[in-house]
Amino acid sequence: MGMFILRRVGVMLLTALCLTFLVFYLTNLYPNLEKLAKTQGNFRMSDEAVASWLEKGGYLQPTPVKYAEWLGVVPSYRFEAEDGTVTGRCILPGMEASEAPRYCGILQGYWGWSTVFRDPVSEIISTRLALTGKLMLWVMLLMVPGALIIGVLAGMREGSPLDRSLSTFSITTTATPEYVSGVLFIAVFASSAVGLKWFKGTATSAMENATFENFFLPVLTIALYGMGYIARMTRASMAEVMTAQYIRTARLKGVSFPNIVLKHALRNALIAPFTVIMLQFPWLLNGVVIVETLFNYKGFGWTLVQAAGNNDIELLLGVSVVSVIVVLVTQLISDIGYVYLNPRISVT
Amino acid sequence: MTSMDTVRQVHPAAKMYAREFKQGQMSRREFLARTTALGMTASAAYVLGGLGQPAQAAGHAQRGGTIRLQSEVRAHKDTRTYDWTQMAYVTHGTLEYLIEYNNDGSFRPMLLEGWEVNDDATEFTLKVRQGVTWNNGDAFTAEDVARNITRWTDSTVEGNSMAARMASLADDETGQAADGAITVVDEHTVVLKTKRPDITLIPGMADYPAPVVHSSYDPNADLSELVGTGPMQVVQNEVGVKAVLEKSGHPWWGDEALEGGGWFIDRLEIIDYGQDPAAWIAAAESEEVDVFYETVGDFIDIMDAIGWQKSDVATGSTIVIRPNQLAEDENGNKIYGDKRVRQALAMAVDNAVCLELGYADRGLVADNCHVGPVHPEYDDSVTRLPHDPAKALQLMEEAGMADFEHELQSIDDDWRKNTTDAVAAQLRDAGINVRRTILPGSTFWNDWTKYAFSSTNWNHRPLGTQVLALAYKSGVAWNEFGFANDEFDTLLAEANSIADVDARREVMGKLQAILIDEGVTIQPYWRSLYRHSAPNIQGADAHIAYLPQAYKWSLSA
Amino acid sequence: MEDLTWTGSLGTFLDPLLFVLVPLFALAVVARILLSFFEPDTGTQANPDGTLVATGGIWSLSARIMTWLGAALVVLVLLYVVLGVVMGTGAGILGGISQRLTPVWIALIVTFWVSIHFKRRLGLYGKLFDSTIGMIGFGLVMFWVFVAVFTGLFDWIATHDALSQVSGMKNKGPGIPLRGAEQGEYPYYLLGGDNLARDVFSRVIKGSTIVIAIAPLATLFAFMVGITLGLPAGYYGGKLDTLLSFLANLILAFPVILLFYLLVTPEIVLTGLPQYMGVVLFAFPLIFFGVLIQSRFRTQPEKNSLWLAIVLIPLFLAYMSLINEDGSKISFWPLDFFDINAGILVVFVSVVFVNSPTVFRIVRGLAMDIKTRDYVAAAQTRGERPWYIMLWEILPNARGPLIVDFCLRIGYTTILLGTLGFFGLGLPPESPDWGSTINEGRKLLSIYLHPALPPAIALLSLVLGLNLLADGLREESLRD
Repeated sequence: MGMFILRRVGVMLLTALCLTFLVFYLTNLYPNLEKLAKTQGNFRMSDEAVASWLEKGGYLQPTPVKYAEWLGVVPSYRFEAEDGTVTGRCILPGMEASEAPRYCGILQGYWGWSTVFRDPVSEIISTRLALTGKLMLWVMLLMVPGALIIGVLAGMREGSPLDRSLSTFSITTTATPEYVSGVLFIAVFASSAVGLKWFKGTATSAMENATFENFFLPVLTIALYGMGYIARMTRASMAEVMTAQYIRTARLKGVSFPNIVLKHALRNALIAPFTVIMLQFPWLLNGVVIVETLFNYKGFGWTLVQAAGNNDIELLLGVSVVSVIVVLVTQLISDIGYVYLNPRISVT
Repeated sequence: MTSMDTVRQVHPAAKMYAREFKQGQMSRREFLARTTALGMTASAAYVLGGLGQPAQAAGHAQRGGTIRLQSEVRAHKDTRTYDWTQMAYVTHGTLEYLIEYNNDGSFRPMLLEGWEVNDDATEFTLKVRQGVTWNNGDAFTAEDVARNITRWTDSTVEGNSMAARMASLADDETGQAADGAITVVDEHTVVLKTKRPDITLIPGMADYPAPVVHSSYDPNADLSELVGTGPMQVVQNEVGVKAVLEKSGHPWWGDEALEGGGWFIDRLEIIDYGQDPAAWIAAAESEEVDVFYETVGDFIDIMDAIGWQKSDVATGSTIVIRPNQLAEDENGNKIYGDKRVRQALAMAVDNAVCLELGYADRGLVADNCHVGPVHPEYDDSVTRLPHDPAKALQLMEEAGMADFEHELQSIDDDWRKNTTDAVAAQLRDAGINVRRTILPGSTFWNDWTKYAFSSTNWNHRPLGTQVLALAYKSGVAWNEFGFANDEFDTLLAEANSIADVDARREVMGKLQAILIDEGVTIQPYWRSLYRHSAPNIQGADAHIAYLPQAYKWSLSA
Repeated sequence: MEDLTWTGSLGTFLDPLLFVLVPLFALAVVARILLSFFEPDTGTQANPDGTLVATGGIWSLSARIMTWLGAALVVLVLLYVVLGVVMGTGAGILGGISQRLTPVWIALIVTFWVSIHFKRRLGLYGKLFDSTIGMIGFGLVMFWVFVAVFTGLFDWIATHDALSQVSGMKNKGPGIPLRGAEQGEYPYYLLGGDNLARDVFSRVIKGSTIVIAIAPLATLFAFMVGITLGLPAGYYGGKLDTLLSFLANLILAFPVILLFYLLVTPEIVLTGLPQYMGVVLFAFPLIFFGVLIQSRFRTQPEKNSLWLAIVLIPLFLAYMSLINEDGSKISFWPLDFFDINAGILVVFVSVVFVNSPTVFRIVRGLAMDIKTRDYVAAAQTRGERPWYIMLWEILPNARGPLIVDFCLRIGYTTILLGTLGFFGLGLPPESPDWGSTINEGRKLLSIYLHPALPPAIALLSLVLGLNLLADGLREESLRD
């Protein structure tokens, strides 16, 4: 088991390295750098001005070198202006060049400086990630039990009217992307046109003070889309278990139906959904970006949109590292969990 | 009452304006704009023009409380390079202005006590307000004023848009203030000598990139350390999220010097809801904001329906849908170098349709010359090329551009996009091929002056010559039209030296005619501006030039 | 002219019926669900002699009531449609729409009639018509396919141009008469005008062409890529598998939205990167078909060359035209028949790129499973070449799950396209595709519901249809 995890972690690191290099490469293509220079400097810059700005920031070095600097394995770039002032990525505003360290990269715990927000990347990401974490926590609390209950109820009697209704419901939710359902929810529950106004159509105030009123709609929007898929997996798994030999035996022995479902079928039926729930995380990120944009909730997804829209290279890299790690860790957990839950499988 | 409440020395032109105004040759707005620009206080101008004083609603405003403003929060940069009014909102509680421009067209002295102008508008005597201190304890003196004007004049600073406004003080060679242009006479007097008559100098100082900064000002320093004359300090400035201004404890000079005082609120929160008005509405409906930066388009009706108070002001704000005459196709040919092509574009478009579809008829139809009824020197006898799609196509064919596909670009935002779409549709109806490209707000402004054919919104400016000088004069930074015309430049310089509005109107007529005949731009309409505020907010009126004036805002009991 | 009502003159006698039937049916469904909790274990069971035994009493009664009410509702809806076709706008907005859709109705009836008639001879496709869910899904999907085809090819259904704006029609509600309508122009905006005074109905209809053209095609390309790489990975295993799987996982670990933000921007288009990716991705169909034919007719050189020529030459020409574009990074091929808009190309490439690894994983898994079967071993002993075994033995036997996944994936691609439209990436902003239209309409949602709802419902119904179709197919293929 130890070897297995170790190997997976190794693959994970390799993947993270490859991906960040990919992001690094894409964001460092010249048109993107030019855009960066113009948003940061001035939008009327001449081509020479752009080149000198990029030169000053060390953006014109070969991409692998820049990437190594970002990682912190080579000393980072410094630019000495004609008047002798030294600037570089290790030298933060208000810091003397002589005091600044030579190496500053991920290995040294330095994530870079956001050009859009004018703050250290690590600070932005931790704030924004905490906000998204809050959102995700509530999404999970709503989505997972909801999906499991729907799936189990539907799957325990395949083909019953209850099954048909719940299956239709879950298919419909998987067919309704967040940008459709979110828009509909705002129209129905938050707008003056319909006039119900049960909830608030924006979640900005939920960043500081989340209430049912300002937080329910975004949570529901994300949860619904993921819910259908998990529910269908649970249903399929439950239906399969219910036809298994040992359940038949239990039935023939005269165990009551609720007892069969709760005591015999449930544990085995939940193995498959567990993996699915874990693998849902990366997809949820999609929903997070849409919903945070739609409801103006300034979390991780919103940061991603801002960073990508403005080619904020280091912030974008930070965002990708975090999202890649989330994806890979959830994959790892789902694999390990699968092994633990399912005695028939061994990793060796 | 302002401290300069006696008309010491009435400018001859001001007397003339008063006569014209009383004879009905000049509107109230024109009169106030003209006379106050000549150094007269608003109250004096009211006396001279025989007008009643405007009601001062702020007189009995109650103090205290927090107001939340919906507005973008942008990264701070050197004040003179501000390219968004929103940037000024964050700093305007700390960094104040010499002069204030108001909705009625008048100019009110703020950090100045007043100013005087000589007859041909070449010498300006600025009287610095006494008793004002910086919030670090330093006294505010004529040196500070002179230093700031020198800063503004420096055109070597990349992106300094004040330099264009102060150009008449500059030495053309060095790009700095000319020797002797700015003189500190005594502790409270600064004299400016311009190299040519310049009536736009005073309005230029009232514009948003002209906050007065301390000698220690560093654009890269944290905003909370900002030294200014105002009573507020920036306690938070999180780009794209939120900015907060709070009372710093520094007393405000305006409470004594200005009638009714100001800065009634203790805290101003500026919350960023992005560029999508739908999100602003959601914020208003959720009671997360009290005042909008601006209400646009169809959202005006929605906000009315919600029950917020509407404030509107007729302006010279507009949109131009313009070809860039310098733009080249892949073969290096100038696409819009031919006058006929540009004329064809203008003739194919019915401006009234643009107003209806783009701005829901909330404004006035304009005549493609970027000078209009809100400007005193506007000549209404000069009209646009007639709307004639058939002729337009014919011109296009004559120019050999019948098969060319024009790429029309715009920002991705409600009214600007809709207006541009309306133009594109009309061009297509006329038989001209158009492809539309819409760029997100984050990328649009990167290249806004360079797009071959695109739309840009322009804010209101008090005088007609101002916008012409900013955007149409040959080679200026914001000349997105690629327009260079010697005759136009000469006439513009001439107009800028004429104090008499009727005489100037004659020159302006010629300027308008050149712009129209050259097909420089489609400028379909003048917008009215709207701002909504919650029912318990007082004084948060829409400003004609979007200038930040939160010191007038208060909460009602 | 007056505004149209929703149902026009039909409303007087059909609407009251509808208002009675719908709540009744809803009530019956709820009652049936509640009752089913207490239903004895039997349910419906088949006896050995082939007859059915159903639980009697209140349960069978509730089931029967529900069936009858449902049937009555269906008949009522059909009445609206049929009378609408006959009466046109006389039967209100719905009538008008129904009449415009006449070719679609006819095509649907013909399709269903033919399919059901010959279903025993049509394999898996025919089996679909044994499943109600499958039929509903198929109907929804074919509805939009026919709409797209008739609009795209013959310009039939839409009433107005998708881009033209008519003064005075801005944000007007459904059924509004066209201001200043001339002879020969359709006199109404059936579903009202949007924020730019364009006809909402026509935009939804024309939008279907874009969605129906891009989504299945992009999915098909993704399948070509996934199959061509997944089969050898699963069949050979070893280093090749490790490498390809690692690459696939790499792309899968990328959050989709981040990938889009990195790829679908004007700056990246400028570098020509999407085109280079297109060069690689679009080559896969050529490889796929080349290997497919080669492995089959390897022993018959004449037939082999003939087939290769027939299939590969047009494909090659199309491929070269596709990747070449005047004025871009790749423009060397003289026979450039068509240019694809750079925006659409980058969207297409990205969608294929995102979908391929998932398909790869599925195909790889299936191949690993199927290669242990007896018939594969038999083919190996026969001395067949590996590619023959992969393409002509393994692939046909994996078709069931692949077809199901194909349907689901088209739906997913449709959603992805909408997501791109929602963020304003890729497709031109005035394009009538549903994602962009929804994004456009949502801005004014708090006062005008009508511009945003039709595209939202259209997208929902298509994706729902694809999901139901996949469900039906899965059910039927499992029954094999």
